[in-house]
Order: sequence, then C-alpha cells, then structure tokens
Amino acid sequence: MNQSAPVQIVFKNIHKSDSHTLPVYLEGGGYKTLAKVLALTPEAVIEEVKKSGIRGRGGAGFPTGIKWSFIPRNSPKPKYLVCNADEGEPGTCKDRDILRYDPHLLIEGMIISAFAVGSERGYIYIRGEFNLESRRVEQAIEEAYAKGYLGDNILGKGVRFDLAVHLGAGAYVCGEETALLESLEGKKGQPRVKPPFPANVGLWGGPTVINNVETLASIPGIMEAGGAWYAGLGVEKSSGTKIFSVSGHVNRPGNHEVEMGISLRALLEEYAGGVRGGWDNLKGVIPGGSSSPILTREACETVKMDYDSIARAGSMLGSGAVIVLDKSVCVVRALARISRFYRHESCGQCTPCREGTGWMAQIVTRIEAGGGRAGDIELLEELCGNISGKTICALGDAAAMPVAGAIRAFREEFVYHVEHGRCMVE
Amino acid sequence: MPTLIIDDREITVKPGTTIMEAARSLGIEIPHFCYHPSLSIAGNCRMCMVEVEKMPKPVISCAMPVNDGMVVRTNSEMVVKARRGVMEFLLINHPLDCPVCDQGGECKLQDYAVKYGPDRSRFQDKKRTVPNYDLGPVIETEMNRCIHCTRCIRFSTEVAGVEEMGAIFRGDHMKVGPCPGHGPLTSVLAGNLAELCPVGALNLKPFHFQARGWELSKTEGICEHCAVGCHIRVDSMENRIYRIMSRQCSSINLDWLCDKGRFAFEGMTEGRLQVPMMVPESGGPQVEVTWNQALDRVAALIQGVAPEEVAGLAGSWGQGGEELYAFQDFLRHVVGTPHLDHRLLRKDFSPDSIPLLRADLMLNTPLQDMERADAVFLIGAGPRFEMPLLNLRLRKASLNGASVWSLGPRHLLSKLENLEEAIVLPGEEADFLRKVLNAMTTRRGPKAAVAWANALRKAQRPVFLLGRFAVNHPNAETLRRLVLAVLGKAEAVEPGWNGYNRMISGNGAGAHDLGVVPQRGPGYTKLGRRGMNAREIFEQSALGKIKVLFLMGLDMESDTVVEYLAAAAQAGTKIIFQGAFHSAAVDKVDVVLPGLVHGEKFSTLTNCEGRVQRSGRVVHGPIMAKEDWRILRALSQRFPQELPYDNLQELWEAMGREDRHYDPAVVDSGEIPKACDHGVGLTEGLECGAEVDAEENETDRLVLILEPSFYRDTPMSRRSSTMTKLDGVEVLRISGKEAKKHKIVAGDRVCIECNGHRVEVRTVVDERVKGGVLLGTREAMRELGGEKDGFLQVTLKVL
Ligand SMILES: Cc1cc2nc3c(=O)[nH]c(=O)nc-3n(C[C@H](O)[C@H](O)[C@H](O)COP(=O)(O)O)c2cc1C
Ligand code: SF4
Ligand code: SF4
Ligand code: FES
Repeated sequence: MNQSAPVQIVFKNIHKSDSHTLPVYLEGGGYKTLAKVLALTPEAVIEEVKKSGIRGRGGAGFPTGIKWSFIPRNSPKPKYLVCNADEGEPGTCKDRDILRYDPHLLIEGMIISAFAVGSERGYIYIRGEFNLESRRVEQAIEEAYAKGYLGDNILGKGVRFDLAVHLGAGAYVCGEETALLESLEGKKGQPRVKPPFPANVGLWGGPTVINNVETLASIPGIMEAGGAWYAGLGVEKSSGTKIFSVSGHVNRPGNHEVEMGISLRALLEEYAGGVRGGWDNLKGVIPGGSSSPILTREACETVKMDYDSIARAGSMLGSGAVIVLDKSVCVVRALARISRFYRHESCGQCTPCREGTGWMAQIVTRIEAGGGRAGDIELLEELCGNISGKTICALGDAAAMPVAGAIRAFREEFVYHVEHGRCMVE
Repeated sequence: MPTLIIDDREITVKPGTTIMEAARSLGIEIPHFCYHPSLSIAGNCRMCMVEVEKMPKPVISCAMPVNDGMVVRTNSEMVVKARRGVMEFLLINHPLDCPVCDQGGECKLQDYAVKYGPDRSRFQDKKRTVPNYDLGPVIETEMNRCIHCTRCIRFSTEVAGVEEMGAIFRGDHMKVGPCPGHGPLTSVLAGNLAELCPVGALNLKPFHFQARGWELSKTEGICEHCAVGCHIRVDSMENRIYRIMSRQCSSINLDWLCDKGRFAFEGMTEGRLQVPMMVPESGGPQVEVTWNQALDRVAALIQGVAPEEVAGLAGSWGQGGEELYAFQDFLRHVVGTPHLDHRLLRKDFSPDSIPLLRADLMLNTPLQDMERADAVFLIGAGPRFEMPLLNLRLRKASLNGASVWSLGPRHLLSKLENLEEAIVLPGEEADFLRKVLNAMTTRRGPKAAVAWANALRKAQRPVFLLGRFAVNHPNAETLRRLVLAVLGKAEAVEPGWNGYNRMISGNGAGAHDLGVVPQRGPGYTKLGRRGMNAREIFEQSALGKIKVLFLMGLDMESDTVVEYLAAAAQAGTKIIFQGAFHSAAVDKVDVVLPGLVHGEKFSTLTNCEGRVQRSGRVVHGPIMAKEDWRILRALSQRFPQELPYDNLQELWEAMGREDRHYDPAVVDSGEIPKACDHGVGLTEGLECGAEVDAEENETDRLVLILEPSFYRDTPMSRRSSTMTKLDGVEVLRISGKEAKKHKIVAGDRVCIECNGHRVEVRTVVDERVKGGVLLGTREAMRELGGEKDGFLQVTLKVL
C-alpha cells in the first residue's frame, strides 16, 4: 500500500470545492455509471456486486450482494430500498462526510441498487442532528429529479425510482435496521422480532433492503470498474476500501479511506499523525465503534484492519470507528461513559437489555466512583453473558461487548478500582 | 407438515406453528410472560427461550416458527441458564412486595421466580420507581411491579380498539401507562387488563385488598348480562362473590369479558326484597307476611276472576329458563290464560300472526364466523354496547378488511374500521333499505344506497345485524323483511353462509324457546289460540279488563313499565310482583314474592346464537327469598292442576321434552352446544314492503331517542357501585344545525318537554347526530315517560 496514491472510491470527490453540487459531480464522471448499469439486467448487477465481495459498512459486515439476492423477484407488495444514514455509533463520522460532501454519489449508488433489487421507492433515514447534511441531500435529490436521474423514467430508460429523506429524532437504536423501519412508518423506534427479516417483510410489510451510506456509496465505483477489480483491493474476505474514522488521542483525527487489511499501526501513524506522545504512550484502541471490545497495545502492534484479523484479535471491525486511548485514560472511566450511553439508548423493549444495561452502568459507575465491591467484576462478566445473544436486537450485545472486552483486556485496573476505591492512572 | 422433536418427543404440526404452540400440544409448558394466545407476538420478555440444535444462540419459542427436522430442548443447561438470567433481570427493579400485592398467589412472576429464578438477588444498586396512574374505577395500578411485557398495550390497541395504553421513554426509564393525554380508561373491556397483566401492576380496583386468590372458591358459570353468554369464573368466599373472571371459550368470548359482566354483580346484594309482603285486605301500605299467607292471597286473587282476566309478564334479563318455563306453564295450564309475554319494549307485534321461528329471532352467523364476514351491515344496532363481545368479532372482521355499514338515527361508538354510516331520521330506515334493494338490481338511486348495494354485490360473506333499535322499532317487521329480501338477493341466506342476524337482549332467546310469548308454546309449538301481547296486556290492565297482572322479574324501574303499572293500579287491577329488587313501583303492588338472582340459583341461559348453557349456584340469597320456579310450583299447589315437577331434574327434563335444545343430556354433557342450530329455516315467501307507514316528515319535529346506558340498564347493574362510577355524565346530544337553530352552545342546560313531563340536562353538540334528532340516555330522561307509542316527540327550551 502506498500512501501517496491510495485508491479512493467513496471519497474520490470529497476534496473538490462544491463537491456536493451536481455540476461538480458530473464533471467527475458522475451518473455515467448509472447510464451504463441501466443497460444491464438487474441480475447482472447483483452478480457484479457479489463478485466484488463488498460487505456491509454499517457494522454487521454482511455481504451486500447476498443480502440483495434475498429479495424476492415477484412480490405482490412494493419493494423498498432504505439507506441507513442514522450514523449513531459513537466514534463514527464517515457517513456524515459522504452526505454533506458527496450526496450525489449516494444517490447514484441508491438508484443502481434499487434497479438491482427491483425497488421503485427509496428512503434515506438521516440522523436527526444532521441538519446541513439532510439539506444537502434534499437539494441533491431535487437536482437529480430535475435532470431525470430520479422519477418515473430515469434517463429515458423506463426505470422508475423515487427517493425521499426522512429525519430521525435522535435515538441511537433507530440505526438498528428494523427500529429504523418502525420509525420510518411513524411508530416508536423499537426493533422488530426476527424472523421475519426485512428482505421478506420490511417497510409497510414489503420486501426491503437496508444498507449503510458507505455501502451504497461504494456501488457506483464497483459498477464502474467491475466487481473483480474491487475484489482485488484489500484482502481476502475483506475486499475493497473502507473509511476509518480515527478519533481520540492521535495527532490528526479524521476520516481516511484506505484499503482493507492495512495494519492498525500504519493507519494511525501514516494517516492519523501518530498517537499523541508517541506509540509507546498508547494504552489501547477501540477499533470498530464504541460497541467493539477494546484492544490492548500488544494487540494493536500487529492487528490488521480487516474483518477476520480484528475478530481474531478479539474485537470487531464494526463501523470502522477507531477510538485511540493513550495512557492518560482510565479504562474504567471510559467504560462507565460507554455503559451509560447504552443504558440511555436501550429502547427498553426486551428484558435483558432494558434491565441489564441499567444494571451494568450502575455497577461500572459505582466502581469508577470508588464504590466497587468484591464480586462486582465477576457479576459484570456474568451479566454480559446473560445479555449477549438473548435480546431482540444487537444493541444488547453492543452494550455487553465493551464491558466484557474492557474487563478481559484491563482486568487489573478494575481490580485496583475495587480494592483501592480509586484509579490507578491518576 | 413439518415434524420436529421437542424434548425427545416427536410431533408433526401445521406449517407456521411456533415452537411454543407445538410444545403446548405435547403438553410441554414453556414459561412465558409476554406471549398471549389472543394477542400479537411481542417477543420482548425473553422468558420463553429454548435451545434449538444447530442454532448458536437460544431462540424465543413464542415467535420462532417450526422447521422440519428441528430438534428443540426446553430444559437444557443453556435454557436453564438463560431463564435464570431473565428472571434475575426482571426482579432487580421489582419492589418484591408480594405480601401486599393483590396478584400474590396467582402471579406468573412469583411462580416462575420460585420455579426458574435464582434464590437471591445480586442487585445492590438503586431500584427504579415509577408513578402510578388513575385509570378509572376498574383498574388499580402499582406500576413499580410492571415487567414491560406490553400485553396491556397490545390488548388496548388490538382487541379493544382504543389506543389508551402505551409506553413512553426508553431503556430502564420506559414507563407503561395511559398514553399522554389519556386518563381513566374508556374501554368497556378495561377489566381484562387486570387479568392479562401477568404481574400485580394492573389489578382490579374493586377487588383491591379484598381477598387472596387462594382463599376464594372458583365456580364456573355463564354471564347473564347480555345474550352473548360469556363463560365466567365466579370467585367467592363465605357466601359472598368477590370477583368475576373470564373463562376461555374460543367460540364465544375468547379470553375476555366486558366490564358489566365483571362488575354488575356488585349490585346483587343491594336493595333486595327480603320477605313476602302484601297489602292487607283492609288496604294501606304493604306488610310483611309469611309465604303461605302471600301465596294464599295470590291464589285467591287469581281464582277470584275469570282465567281470561289474568295475564302474565316476565322480564327477560336475568331470568333463567327454569322460571321462564314454569311461568308460562303456570299461566297456561294452572291458571288457564293465554295472555303472557316478555317483549315489554316491543312496539311492532305484527309478525305474531305468522309467527316467527327460532332462526328469525336470533343470530344465524355464529359469533366465531362473524370474524370472517367481508361486509357488515348494522341496522339500528350499536354492538359495542349491546353486546361488547360480539363487537370484538366485528372489529376483527373490520381489521381483516370487511367494510362496515350502519343505518340508524345516530353515529356509532363502535371502534370498527372502514365504517360508513347512513344516519336517517327515525322512521326513514325502511325507505333507505328499499332503495338499497332497488339499487341492487337497477344500480341506481341515492349515493349511499348504491354504495350499500355495491358492497353487498361484492360481498361473499355479508352479515346483517338487526339491533335493539330495529327490533323495538315501530316498523320492526318491515325492516326485518327488507333485510331478508336484501340478503336473499345477495344470496346470503344459504346453508353455507347465513348472514341474517337479529340481536336479542338478556335471556330473550330462552323466553322465546320456552314459550313466554302469546303466539307460540314452548319449542315453538303452535297454539290453538293466540293470547294478548305485552302491549295489549298493559293496555287492557290500564282499562281494568285484565284484573290480575302477574309480573315476574320485570325491571320495575323501567320507565315504560312504571307508567303502565300506575295506570293499571288506577284501574283497580291487582298486581303481583315476583322478583328480586325493591323499587318505588314494587311498593305499590298488591303482593310481593321475593325471588333469587343469577348466581343464587341454577339458571339455564340461551345465548344469541341459541346455545343453551347452564349456570350454577354460587351463593345463597336472602334467607326468606326462594328460587323462582319453586315459588310458582308452590303457588300451583293451591290450584286443581299442580306443576308436574318436584325438583330441578324433573323440571329440566320437562323443558327438554318441549325443546330438544334443553334436553339435560345435551345441556349437562359438558360440551359447548352448537351455535345457530335452529333446525327450521327462516320464514319464507314473505311479501315485504307493502305496509310501511313511514312517519311524516314534518319540518320542525324533534325526535328524542333514548338509549339505555350500557353500565346501568338492568336493576342489578344500576345497583353496582363500579357500574355507577363508570356511567358517564348524563347529556343530551344535539346536532350543530339544531343547536344553532335553538341558539344552544355546548354545555348549556336545556329543558326537554314531552306529554307534560319535563327534564333538565346538559347538552353536547355532536356533529354526527342528525338534525331533528336528540340523543339522550334512558337514565336521565326517566321522568319523560316511556316510548310506548313510538318515538318521543319533544320540545326544547334553553334555560
Ligand atoms: C443498535 C444498533 C445501531 C445501529 N446503528 C447503525 C447506524 O447508525 N448506521 C448504520 O448504517 N447501521 C447501523 N446498524 C446496523 C444496521 O442494523 C444494519 O445492519 C445496517 O444498516 C445494514 O447495512 P449494511 O449491510 O450496508 O451495513 C446498527 C445496528 C444496531 C444493532
Ligand atoms: S436489545 Fe435493547 S435496544 Fe434491542 S430491542 Fe431489546 S431493549 Fe431494545
Ligand atoms: S402493566 Fe402489566 S400487562 Fe402492562 S406491560 Fe406492565 S406487566 Fe405487562
Ligand atoms: S413469551 Fe416469548 S419472548 Fe415473551
């Protein structure tokens, strides 16, 4: 990998001025891929996306081409394509850049995706706080309608696709795809019991594809240069490029689109300006958003940024939000903050998550404040086990994983807190 | 058909069955909180997790459909551990106040905690507290105990059709309670919330701190408060009923019960007649007497006049088949008079010459099948208040996409979807139906009529319901025949689908079956001679032509009854009242014979579908009061011809000989009798429509329509304290147009006058009321006198 010329698929336009406007987008070859794709069959598009090996960038990493192929071809109900732009996972801020700097890329990606799955109606569910972003997207949609990229007869090819923006109201859980659908339908944002899965029974009961902003924004690039080309980027089972949102104790925090499989150390040192105070000042890294287990410095030395490597190291790639913690950080305190977040954001529907997140947050906060008791750490570990895999949606797991991960990686800090009633860092 | 293995036992089930249901059919009970067979699946409590081979995580059995070859374990180590985790979570924020909780002893949380939970809590942090809400007189709340299963929310929205319960906030701050802006519940099914709630969060307010579940004896029974005939369980202790609970019956009431069925019983001990009373020979007020003295006097009164000068009127509400049968037997065969009836509010008796048969008088579409109707036509019917549990079936039909069409003088408060209402002036209903009939062939006519005709033409399974208003309408028979004609044209009076339904009140079906009508004997046998109908009996009593009037179980607070009786007494007619409740009108009769009420005696009730069901005795009535049929039996001993049954068994056998539906071998078999098993078909070949006397359409006529209050339409419910609390403020509903004409603003008090009587009420302007019509409740307008001559024409003055 060569830092001077990293392949840019999603961020290719982002540095141009007025990149969010249609003329600039067209100048960079925008909507050309769409014209090319409309000459293909939907099946061929799905095939190409399968070939690319791209996996969902929203967190779960499910292969996108396979997800699309679950959509029944003949459905009596309308099919929907929904873009998940709720970007709520703490540390993640990549979708936001796509929305505000290159909305047309997303729109083109959505039109192609909709064509592939046979959907004539799409929604972009945008996080409520994304004010500028939603206005830019709406403006771009208007431009696209005016030019005939959206509407009844796209580019005169008789293809139809309507697209609308829906603003969320500030609940993290609405990023979970079925809670998002409920919210879109105007109901309280609570995840649905699965099965049935959205591919069969989704929005208003119709078959529905839900994809992350980054996933959809990768589609034009894939269709332009071919699935095989894309698959050649990155590493096996983690093809293509990924945007990592690097935050925390680095000298240059920000979003970076790099090929998958880059080493974490290279990502931090070559792109993010290095750890504050030097690599040796690193305490640990949360590699995939606040819900992913923290990695110790030892693990960070060698780990590569692809789905399988991170999983082997005991964490997950998640949404690609890399949160860097240097030695000034008390892990217990950081965890207390994270646990309070999940307590606050649990929708409250199912027992283990509703009760478990509150309980865990209380225990971790208490330990942090010096009120830890013997047995608390073991209790936390057991509670994680009683939540994980036993809830309606993955928010329960998302709340349990950082707790279990932090205790696994930094147990001695927790023990110190409990035994001494204070932090070993200060 | 998928075959699977659950706990080493193989079972084959229908595709789409859930693991929970499959396990249930094997007799394996999987613990659950949020799952309820009559509600949608929520999957939120996570108590029902099971292990499925090849699946890495436990799955919830209430939501997971079975697959062929599945291997399920409901008690593996994984499951036991998962359940224990859920139980611990559920209890951390629970107040653990079982000793002061009404639910104690019948609480799922308590039972499962003992069976599946850890023996102590590891929770040492701060418990959550949540506020309680005022949900009205039916439901007591202790929301700290709520486990967020959402059963109450799903019941309110899905079954009751009122979005009154909801959950606000998220996470462990989530609060279940009335939706913002809602307070006391308005549903007539509110009591079910207490039964549904698996914990002690929602309890029955009237039962609050009254008794412990395990102290109560539980007796199965049948509800007498309307003709649905819901299955109930009566919980009692030391000769007192404490509460009434629903008893599952999928073909009648599912798992539910309405609030009247649940709480009207509170009135059963209030204002009861305790001892026989009579007016002394010398006149003056009634005095207490012995049973012998009272019965001797009754016998003497009857024997003192010609048999033809004696007439009998029975109530239908709360009267069991036993006394109804004995009543007609006594009058016809002991006294020898043909004059008897139970149809006190009826105005049109013209079909008595045909006369109507069982199928004409009741439902022909079983309650269960109503759900499958694809178009529902309500003719003068308000099913939500006439028969709440029937309305649930209609609601299900409407949720399944059936259109609902209503013809009547007012809008409905029925919680039905897809409702189209044709509001017409009283008297114009027949005209509308005739236009529908016409539009079915010509496709022409007024818009509403054409819409009805189109809906009928499209419908595969239409249901017509003639409601209370239509049955007691001055043109009732014309309406009925028109409905038959319309249905006939739609080919919907067929063996496969019969959409003709007439609603019936109280035990009216039993009264018809057992011959408490002047035109037919028990079992619809033909009579040599037709006697006088209720209207004629009342009128002839007022004229002194009927000299002895024997009343059994009448509502002695009914405006119509009270008015007629006053006139009869004036004319010197001797009145005998056998019944349970005291009232001002009872004070004025000549002899009072205290009887028993439902729950104090065996009573056989016939529901709107013609199912004959038996309900037993739970408590004893006043010491001196007697079982009603035994009073008649004892009375008959003073006549040459005695009633030929000495005990219940003999009476039941006699009833069974007259009508096969009452054969004790069938009724007491333990099986639920067949619905709509009417045998003979509907009266056929009737010319209809010729003799409609549509009322004149004068321009400034104001018709007052009186509706019985749902909560207080019988002597017992009127005496129930919970029913009294539930009964809304008495108001008069008036259309905007009419209000403007009379310069009335909403909330104004007005005075209504009719035949020299007057009452004052508060008005509500309701745009859905037709101009020319006023809607009032019977309770408030009592003093105006009854509607004996048709609709009440009134004048209105602003105060
Ligand atoms: C609690 C929770 C929050 C989530 N938030 C987001 C989010 O903000 N944005 C997102 O794209 N996916 C989010 N997801 C993942 C989505 O459920 C879903 O997997 C994703 O949108 C699918 O798109 P993809 O296949 O393109 O990744 C969340 C999942 C969970 C369980
Ligand atoms: S896991 Fe949490 S967020 Fe997800 S459905 Fe259950 S309570 Fe709601
Ligand atoms: S009040 Fe009862 S029924 Fe309603 S959610 Fe709570 S526990 Fe469930
Ligand atoms: S009964 Fe299955 S989750 Fe509640």
